[in-house]
Amino acid sequence: MGNDRYNVIIVGAGPAGSAAAIRLAQNDLSVALIERGEKPGTKTMFGGSIYADPTSRVIPEFWEDAPLERPLVTDEFWLLDRDSAVKVGFTGLKYKRSPYNKFSALRSKFDPWFAQQAVNEGADLMTSTLVKDLVYEKTGLLNKKVAGVKLDSGEVIHSDVVLLAEGASANLTEKAGLRGEIETSSMFLYVKEELALPAEKIESRFNLEPNEGANVGMIGYPTSGIAGKGGLWTNKESISLIVGGYLNQIIKKGASPYQMLSRFKAHPLVSRLIDGAKTVAYKSRIIPKGGYESLPQLYDDGILVAGDAAVMISGRRGTDLAMLTGLYAADIIAQARAAEDYSSRVLKGYDKRVSNSFFMKNIKKGKGGHQYQKDHPDADYLLTKAANDAAYKFFEVGSESSSEKMKKIRQEILDMQPIKKTVKDIYYGLQDWSVF
Amino acid sequence: MSNFLKDNQSPLDYVTIKVDDQSHIKIKSQKKCLNKCENKPCTYYCPTRVFSWDDQSNKIKVAYERCIECLACPFGCPLNNIDWNFPQGGYGVIYQPNGQ
Repeated sequence: MGNDRYNVIIVGAGPAGSAAAIRLAQNDLSVALIERGEKPGTKTMFGGSIYADPTSRVIPEFWEDAPLERPLVTDEFWLLDRDSAVKVGFTGLKYKRSPYNKFSALRSKFDPWFAQQAVNEGADLMTSTLVKDLVYEKTGLLNKKVAGVKLDSGEVIHSDVVLLAEGASANLTEKAGLRGEIETSSMFLYVKEELALPAEKIESRFNLEPNEGANVGMIGYPTSGIAGKGGLWTNKESISLIVGGYLNQIIKKGASPYQMLSRFKAHPLVSRLIDGAKTVAYKSRIIPKGGYESLPQLYDDGILVAGDAAVMISGRRGTDLAMLTGLYAADIIAQARAAEDYSSRVLKGYDKRVSNSFFMKNIKKGKGGHQYQKDHPDADYLLTKAANDAAYKFFEVGSESSSEKMKKIRQEILDMQPIKKTVKDIYYGLQDWSVF
Repeated sequence: MSNFLKDNQSPLDYVTIKVDDQSHIKIKSQKKCLNKCENKPCTYYCPTRVFSWDDQSNKIKVAYERCIECLACPFGCPLNNIDWNFPQGGYGVIYQPNGQ
């Protein structure tokens, strides 16, 4: 520390905050990276995957050095019913070599390493430090700009600009007047267990070789009538298992997240994958799923918002969008310093950059889908049921002609619900899953 | 209250928490919980069961020392009646790299 004025204060040493800190420090700006946990990564969790392409834009060939679990070569999607699953999947061994595609990872290992890269570039990392408030300075008769932060110790640190990378709760973002109320229907609540299992067992169960990993996304059974997802990742010597759904639906259905997870673990097709594995961690976290309608304002005089606090979530992607928005924010801040102008006039360039990004196109596209899932929480469940019933019929060896068989299957799907609804369920389901 | 399942397993066995001596969670109005909240959803949607209904006092009891900071409770409360703040720096849940 020993410095009470910085060019930039970043609140939160997660993927967004650390990515920004790395880039800013590389550009010779003085950076304070403030984290409330005793170490980065001790307060949060994800499924989860680290994506190679966006992460390598922050640190080229990060995989040489970063604490990652396994390169993911197998990606599967299961429509899971009571005692069956319709599976779609892909295994690509190209993904186990540079430039890779995705890695399984644990945030409690990855985040400290990522923040350390910022420190290596010259950023000051302050841990066990909670930012309580923003500090303003007058810039005219009626105008004011963010000029620093107040810590829980009462200490004030000043800066030219503050970047909020504070995560889903977005408290300071709200205090700054940049977002309204967050609806319960815009929040996903996930719970997770990490289960220790020897590497050989993981490899034999998932048909992998050493240094290969698998990821399975699931819908249907894991959350029953709640629009939500289950997921499984193979780590080096453990399995990450998550389940979660829309918070308002969890509340409405009277569901307990831990019991949901226990029920998921007991599913006959899941329990055989984790058989004998010992639980070593239990974690939980909300994720903003609001999409386009609930995006906050991303900038104001002397302040920017990135990552989950900015609702940068698209399908199952979030960590990488956090990193990218962190980078974009860092680029604009460097421009602001060159212009010696940290007002919204310059900082709005960040909003423009985000608006034109590929992921904002995805977030915009998902617009109607979010509403659809809200109105039809059972869509995934019904589809899963129909697909599994049809598959049971299809694979059954009976004594009817194949045309009779197909006719029966078709009739059953038609009987389930109006065909228009089924088509819609599939359409919006695909939109939601395409990035699952 | 501490048990979630019939076999007496509690997920808190797998969590490290550095407990502060001050609660970071408060119920704004216990009267609201008693009179206006039918289902008391906080008693089931919280992943570590921080909240429980106490029949004796007709109040929601808050076991803040069980909190793993998932952030759901202030958003989930139908009456916006939970005042949830971050624990002070360094306190609260500490997720470990390899479990405990």
